[in-house]
Amino acid sequence: MKSTVSIKGVLLKSTLLAGALAVSTASARADVTIGVLVPLTGELGEFGKIVAGAVELGVAEVNAAGGTKCGNLRTVVADTGGNPEVGIREATKMIESEGAVAVVGPTSGVMVALVDLAKRTKTVIMSPYAGTITLNELGGDYVYRTVSSDLGDGAASGLWLTDQGYKRVAFMVQNEESTISPAQVARDKLETSGIELTDYVVYNPGQPSYQAELVSVLANEPDAIYLAGGQQSGVTVIKEATAGGFEGEWLFTADLAVPEVFDAVGAQYLNGRAYVEFADADSSLPEFKAFDALYQEKTGGEPGPFAANSFDMANLIALSLESAESCTGEGINSVIRDVADGGEAVSSFAAGKEAIGAGKDINLEGASGPLAFDASGTPAGAYSIQQAKDGKWENVKFYPASAFE
Amino acid sequence: MNTIAQIALTVLMFGSLFSVLTLSLNLQYARGGMINFGTVAYFAAGAYAYAIVTQEPPHGLDQYLVGLNAPWWAGFIAAGFAAMAFAFLTGWPTLRLRGEYLALTTFAFAEMLNSLLVNERGIGNGTVGLANVERPDAAILGLSENLVYAGAAFLLMLATAYAFGRLLASPYGRAVDAIRDDEVAAEAIGKDVARLRFQVFVISSIPIGFAGALYAMITTLVNPDLFSAEVTFFVWIALVLGGERTILGAVVGTMALVGFQEVIRAIPFESVRAAEIAAAAEDIVTGALFIVILRWQPFAALARRRHSA
Repeated sequence: MKSTVSIKGVLLKSTLLAGALAVSTASARADVTIGVLVPLTGELGEFGKIVAGAVELGVAEVNAAGGTKCGNLRTVVADTGGNPEVGIREATKMIESEGAVAVVGPTSGVMVALVDLAKRTKTVIMSPYAGTITLNELGGDYVYRTVSSDLGDGAASGLWLTDQGYKRVAFMVQNEESTISPAQVARDKLETSGIELTDYVVYNPGQPSYQAELVSVLANEPDAIYLAGGQQSGVTVIKEATAGGFEGEWLFTADLAVPEVFDAVGAQYLNGRAYVEFADADSSLPEFKAFDALYQEKTGGEPGPFAANSFDMANLIALSLESAESCTGEGINSVIRDVADGGEAVSSFAAGKEAIGAGKDINLEGASGPLAFDASGTPAGAYSIQQAKDGKWENVKFYPASAFE
Repeated sequence: MNTIAQIALTVLMFGSLFSVLTLSLNLQYARGGMINFGTVAYFAAGAYAYAIVTQEPPHGLDQYLVGLNAPWWAGFIAAGFAAMAFAFLTGWPTLRLRGEYLALTTFAFAEMLNSLLVNERGIGNGTVGLANVERPDAAILGLSENLVYAGAAFLLMLATAYAFGRLLASPYGRAVDAIRDDEVAAEAIGKDVARLRFQVFVISSIPIGFAGALYAMITTLVNPDLFSAEVTFFVWIALVLGGERTILGAVVGTMALVGFQEVIRAIPFESVRAAEIAAAAEDIVTGALFIVILRWQPFAALARRRHSA
């Protein structure tokens, strides 16, 4: 009897909770919903938090400027843990239950899995860091990104390794799409530049040690090691190479462009001899400076990797809603290319809203740089090289998109 | 669609899909006495076979070697064959093992397959995987795609439950039970233990292959990350939750497990901080729920009551 009563109690509470959920969903319908689908947990959790925070900042700015003609923007945030299946479940819920007109922030694997859903439900999906080369073919209609393809990262790394004048370079590449694709491009650049590739090692993540992979790499005494790895495996490789007597320089890829790497490895082993390459905003642009100032004012910290690209997503969607004929994903998709290219240059939602109100075409100049999309929904990329100095990453070189023409 | 209906549809879709795996495991373990810790490998074999058969031939930066561009139904049939073939390959050398030795060997085979898919890029593009996987156009039925795929998963689950139910209710099923209860006694009355165990192992893997194909249609993506050991553990937990040896228990346990995941994630968080806290708390809440359920076993009791009724 006792258990029957408790089950009834649970059922009653569940019904009340479900009712409350339904009411809260219905009451929020006056706004335009944007789904923020990011990894808040897992290996890419740190990036997900930066992206979600910057989107939240962008949405707050849009709403502070009076919102779009479709209403204020409302975000619904969910964690994917980087898992495509979870991504599909959460995105479906955002679109079907929450009425999201756009879903922003998925990582590469999740983004690829959402392509079909986006086109089927006519919902725009957009990522600030999915550099996957698969999107070079699948993107373009309802599928966009505010970061360049991974192939551009490879070109930037190859350019930097050549500019540094290294004679002998070894490659340590994690067996993942986001690291192998750029590594192949960087390797091609080295070969055409006449730099000797001493080793090209592809390793699997999740191993407790990489000493076996490092034996040949260290024996060949390269001037530098190009390490395209994740945070967990990358830290292990750096520690073991250092313990093995490596005294050359490093070039890391974007996953290691976080301050945590200094605590994990020990700043003294990186200062002055480690560099990191990642797709970045042009910090000399006034649009970036304005974003940087706003970010520091609102959050008290400096914008992390992909923060500017994420902020741009919120503005792109808001201005697309402002100029579209309907407040839907279809409406956004029909005008987003025009908003990003080809009219009067604007750098904020407020300025863009005013220009659209005056009947002008606009060209949103993003905080991360020009946002004009190519056929695959991808902008041309710009890249930064930072050096480890005093336990921090500091800019030493910027390659604008024009450097690769 | 409101939140509750959407949750119900997701639970129906993924719950039914994974129930096929749990039903197969129920046949192998609870009835056949074989501990298979490599369930995900047969699931992956089905999904990859479906993707390779239906995928366009490689071009551009693709590194996979074969894409047959065949229709979806050919891929679906191939998925069943692929899982069966993998069961042949792994069952033949391993089924003479018992208990934890069989568990470890099947687990090792699954890890080998995963490693093969990661490192041999000619099979399925390595870690990149095969994207934009072909799937039948559900729009011709005039229903939403989610509804159609949830229905397809439910039908596959019903078909699997019916087939296994008939099999286990037959004299063949009693022979399987006899072998699990006492191999020596079964052998003494003329049952070919090795052959029966092998047959059960292979038969039960076929629906897992079909489920793999359906999973590839739903996610439109196959890559090694989707087929990790977590899938195997998920199915084992579902079987334990629902109670062993009954078909209803296997289904209820899986539906309940997918339901927990959905209910825990049901609240639409409007701020990043709230979502962060929820993401961090999710595993704790799930763990606490497992402890409660394993202590009182409501689903197992329900399945047993229905079974005995």
